[in-house]
Amino acid sequence: MRSVRDLVGVAVAGLTARWSRTLLIMLGPIIGVSAIVAAVGLTESAKGDLQETLAALGDNLIRGEAAASFGADAPTFTEDVVERVNRLTTVEGSTATKAVSGIITTPYEAARSYYTAFPTPVLTADEHFLEVMQVELVSGRWLNSFDQDTAARTAVVGIGLADEFGFREGNRTIKLNDLDYGVVGVVERYPLDPVFDNAVIIPASTADADFDVGLEPDTVYVRSDPAFTLETEAALPVAINLGGDIETSTTVLSDALEAEAAADSTLQIIVAAMGLLALIVGGVGIANVMSISVIQRSAEIGIRRALGHGRSLIAWQFLIESVAVGLLGGLAGALVGVGIVVYASRIAGWVFVLSPELDLFGIQLPSHYVGVPTLYLIGVGAALLTSVFAGLYPSVKAARLEPLETLRLG
Amino acid sequence: MSDTPLLRLDEVSRIYGAEVKVHALDGVSLDIEVGEFVSIVGPSGSGKSTMLGLLGLLDLPSLGTLSVDGTSVADLSDHDRSTLRGEVVGFIFQQFHLIPHLDARRNVETALLYRQMSPRERKRRAMDALEVVGLAPRHEHRPVQMSGGEQQRCAIARAIVTEPKLLLADEPTGALDSTNAANVMEIFRDLNDGSRAIAIVTHDPAVAASADRRISMKDGKVVADDQLSGGAAVSSFGGTLGGAS
Repeated sequence: MRSVRDLVGVAVAGLTARWSRTLLIMLGPIIGVSAIVAAVGLTESAKGDLQETLAALGDNLIRGEAAASFGADAPTFTEDVVERVNRLTTVEGSTATKAVSGIITTPYEAARSYYTAFPTPVLTADEHFLEVMQVELVSGRWLNSFDQDTAARTAVVGIGLADEFGFREGNRTIKLNDLDYGVVGVVERYPLDPVFDNAVIIPASTADADFDVGLEPDTVYVRSDPAFTLETEAALPVAINLGGDIETSTTVLSDALEAEAAADSTLQIIVAAMGLLALIVGGVGIANVMSISVIQRSAEIGIRRALGHGRSLIAWQFLIESVAVGLLGGLAGALVGVGIVVYASRIAGWVFVLSPELDLFGIQLPSHYVGVPTLYLIGVGAALLTSVFAGLYPSVKAARLEPLETLRLG
Repeated sequence: MSDTPLLRLDEVSRIYGAEVKVHALDGVSLDIEVGEFVSIVGPSGSGKSTMLGLLGLLDLPSLGTLSVDGTSVADLSDHDRSTLRGEVVGFIFQQFHLIPHLDARRNVETALLYRQMSPRERKRRAMDALEVVGLAPRHEHRPVQMSGGEQQRCAIARAIVTEPKLLLADEPTGALDSTNAANVMEIFRDLNDGSRAIAIVTHDPAVAASADRRISMKDGKVVADDQLSGGAAVSSFGGTLGGAS
């Protein structure tokens, strides 16, 4: 071990004796690694807010819609669809909704023609909605069982509609086909299914009483055990059908968002490849400078050989110098890359993503290894590997120098 | 002479070149014992430098046997020969050959690297060696900050810090003025205390005269091997070395 420490000491002394040269050849790995880290970091951070949303909402929410069997109009489930779904052991909870069509609502009379042409969606929902969707209210309360039981004219509106109609400024009623409904709550934006953002949500019983639409829901949202989302999705149509003729089309709601949140991999690969190129060119630079260094330091090599250092120790000395340049340059490059990503994210208002899960030519890599982001390990590892290759030729050359020739005896 | 001298050359030849063969050394036999102070003299091209390379284990004979303490060095691997060289030989060069980016102490310590020695021990030994050559107060100076004489003293400290049995010097005063040269030769005389052999390759008669034994070379052969007493040649100096300088 002491020999290793001696070697490192000799290499460090050799490098620090020529600071400006060392820093210059370090530029290659610094530029290369920082480009790789920044390429991946920037493309990921650009989608960072979506990825964050996705992580918060979970990827285990399934939407089941009653599908139109041939010729049927406005298909619906049975009234007990939630109970049927909840019999699946992998289901953690479910909630049913129904679209109520033909309802006109307008914030003021002059806008009636516009809102007739583009009707505000009206949906029914049950009391499990918040819990299953994992969505928050901005203000007020959700529709409760009292509202459902008494067919009360209460409504919760999406935040988009609340802003549009001015409910956040104190307007407390909304007219649905000229019937006054009391707005009891405003629900937060819901990226997994944006239909709620501009909708009026009322109790199913009230909808049936006022508009005669029936109590059968047409959509069910199912929160699955996260480990069995796909299995639950597959089992859902059967659980709802129970041998009947109800058809169900299912969607895992996060899928669309996930696709949108994925980083632009083409751009990522192009910039990372440029970084790799810079790294390789930097490696050639290291090999060049080290080769010249070996010639310039031939007397030093000769004297070390005369002092009893074998060929292998000389080779190791120069290889370690090269590797130290690669390692330090790689680490500095990773820091510079992170700096670029942090700064750019701040300017662009992105969510800074440090450690994406990587897909390296089809090999899936986790985001971290023993607490260190995989991205850094790859960047620094690439710099290290490059410097080992770069150092091989100069070190072999140094080891092959004949001390008698370099010391100019006699 | 004991049965196993420190160094033994037995009919050693060193031949350079494949097609045109140059016999830089031609069938030389000699022994060097611990305690001897030897000078090797001869004109340019006489084989002095080749002899130095062989005595310093930097080179191997083409023919014949070179033994250190009875062990033939031709049988050793590069690693073992390097280790043996580090243990047995201390080199001093005309051009000092200090490592320019290291200070005096670290130059001396270079000889003690890769010996499983603690940094503290290495530092202590280096300072002791610098003390011997009177350079301890300047141990933080780098070679460019030292005079030629100081650099050569530093090189001597580096050579003796490993306590080698053979101190091998190549024209140690060749790059020095007369005052510094005298100073360096004084150090060599002090080092000639019976615990090591000293061999100086030179073509300076004054340097050669300081030694106890003078090996004169010409055309790759030893032409005279004289014991000197009190710094004066027993056999005639100019007779064997016509026009040496």
